[in-house]
Amino acid sequence: MTKRLADALFGSVYYLFLASFIGFSAIPVVVAIVLSFDARSFIGPFPPTAFSLQWYEKFLADDYYYQGLATSLLVSAIATVASTVLGALAALGLDRAGFRGRKVLQAILLSPLVVPNVVLGFGILMFASRLGIIDGMPRLIMGHVLITFPYVMRTTAASLVGIRSSYYEAALSLGARPWKALLQITLPLARTGIVAGAIFAFVTSFDDVGISLFLSDAFTFTLPVAILAQMRANLDLTIAALSVIFILATILIIVLLDRLAGLDAAVGRGVYGR
Amino acid sequence: MAVLDLQHIRKSFGSFTAVDDVTFEVNKGEIVALLGPSGCGKTTTLRMIAGFERPDSGRIFIGGADMELRPPYERNVGLVFQDYALFPHMTVAENIAFGMKNRGTPKNEIAPRTLEVLQQVQLPGVENRRPHALSGGQQQRVALARALVTRPDIMLLDEPLSNLDAKLRLQLRREIRTILASFECTSIIVTHDQEEAMGLADRIVLMNRGRIEQIDTPARLYQSPKTLFAADFIGHANWIHGTLSKAAGDAGIVATPVGDVRVTMRQGSPEQGPVTLCIRPERLAITDGTVEPATRMQAIAESVDIVGADVRLWSRLKDGTLVQSLDKNIGRAMPQPGSEVMLGFGPDDCVVLPASDAA
Repeated sequence: MTKRLADALFGSVYYLFLASFIGFSAIPVVVAIVLSFDARSFIGPFPPTAFSLQWYEKFLADDYYYQGLATSLLVSAIATVASTVLGALAALGLDRAGFRGRKVLQAILLSPLVVPNVVLGFGILMFASRLGIIDGMPRLIMGHVLITFPYVMRTTAASLVGIRSSYYEAALSLGARPWKALLQITLPLARTGIVAGAIFAFVTSFDDVGISLFLSDAFTFTLPVAILAQMRANLDLTIAALSVIFILATILIIVLLDRLAGLDAAVGRGVYGR
Repeated sequence: MAVLDLQHIRKSFGSFTAVDDVTFEVNKGEIVALLGPSGCGKTTTLRMIAGFERPDSGRIFIGGADMELRPPYERNVGLVFQDYALFPHMTVAENIAFGMKNRGTPKNEIAPRTLEVLQQVQLPGVENRRPHALSGGQQQRVALARALVTRPDIMLLDEPLSNLDAKLRLQLRREIRTILASFECTSIIVTHDQEEAMGLADRIVLMNRGRIEQIDTPARLYQSPKTLFAADFIGHANWIHGTLSKAAGDAGIVATPVGDVRVTMRQGSPEQGPVTLCIRPERLAITDGTVEPATRMQAIAESVDIVGADVRLWSRLKDGTLVQSLDKNIGRAMPQPGSEVMLGFGPDDCVVLPASDAA
């Protein structure tokens, strides 16, 4: 009897914990969405008394944000392309390598995932100034490649594990040189991992504050940095409107990712014969 | 003329010797099976012929050319993988065209040759399908077509039938033979299945622990195995240990715990000393008294297995050895378990092998 009671107690505590966690992560989002429609011209107590689209209008009228958005898109796009190429190649190389120290090299290449962005940002700032790079754009791209590269490498490596070596060997035995076999057989088969990595890379780069804060300058800054600066200067609810746009963009990308991953799970069995 | 010539090939992985001094030749148009249990070195040998592994020592010649420094893509070898390895992101036609493109077949020949080879493997009309939309047997034939279309010097087939069910296997065995014969293609088939080797190959290279045990035609390998391993691996066998002494002419007498056995001495078999007799189950008959076999052994029947076309009788000899005899399942009454039976065989029904602890 006491055992059953304990089970029931454990169950309710578990669900309570789960519910409070969901609430905890959802409340800020809800508050931001609701406040973005606030009709008041100041930040008042939570439930707004009237609603309007004034913050969206203000956001759309502000050049400062546009500049940030343009920089963000440019940096993220270049960083994503560069990381995708480099990350996929690194994963391929490590997958095929038999040399000693492979694990160590892999750990070094993945280390930006665990090193705090602030440390990386500061490091790149110092490094870039030693190299004489004082422009914001190349610095930002350097930093963003560094933090997004491990994602592509990770996801590509994961999909390479599922590709049997006989595909590559079959290509060789059919007269394909190694680079051709990799390009025409192995890479297309790893494509879901590479694309997923590219999406992760783009999202990470687009959302980044930590490293961008160090690497931006007065004329080149990313959107998150612009938001942060604006928040310090004059705190108003344009940020809430911006957050909603950010949330929508993120949801879009997550849905895209899920469609892609879901597609892989459904078709993967037949395609890869796993 | 030998299309493939392996000379004293050796390969180790760490302290494990996978292939140990393997030497054999394959002649033009011949189908040779590399047969043996898993870990016997047959797959490693195949991978060395294909160029995926390099031998530690020894030489490989294909079409008279030394393969020492040639990577896989510079060897004219057709490979059919155990899992077929059809490229899943390409259609059947693209799979088949892949090798031709890489080997420099003129562009205008690729499409007609693709269709032609699909005809030859009896799979017309699948060129625009994806491999996973085909059955296992069809994938197998596409894999064959993809390898054959580049007209390789030699075809290598790695366990070609192991992924198929039993009935299909039998049917595809015949088809593979026909297809390979129609291309007059020199082939090597790696298999652990002795039936597959016997059904497909002109000659069998029997391997064990990295070494070649025997190279022979399927019939000779079954009828005159040279080692205990060969006798044991191919088909079933009954074993009787004894001591051989020479009698008149080519006759010999083996003294065994179940009585003296008259045997015929063959070339290459031992002259005297401890031996093991190998008697195939179908040669060990229940004697009904009408014919008088050279050797008769009393036994107690233990059980009867009906295996489709055959009936297998397990019985125990006086010294406790369990033996099996195989008879056609044609409705003859079989002894009851526990009853006494008389088993018999002639001097030519057993193979005399040097005794060893290998089997």
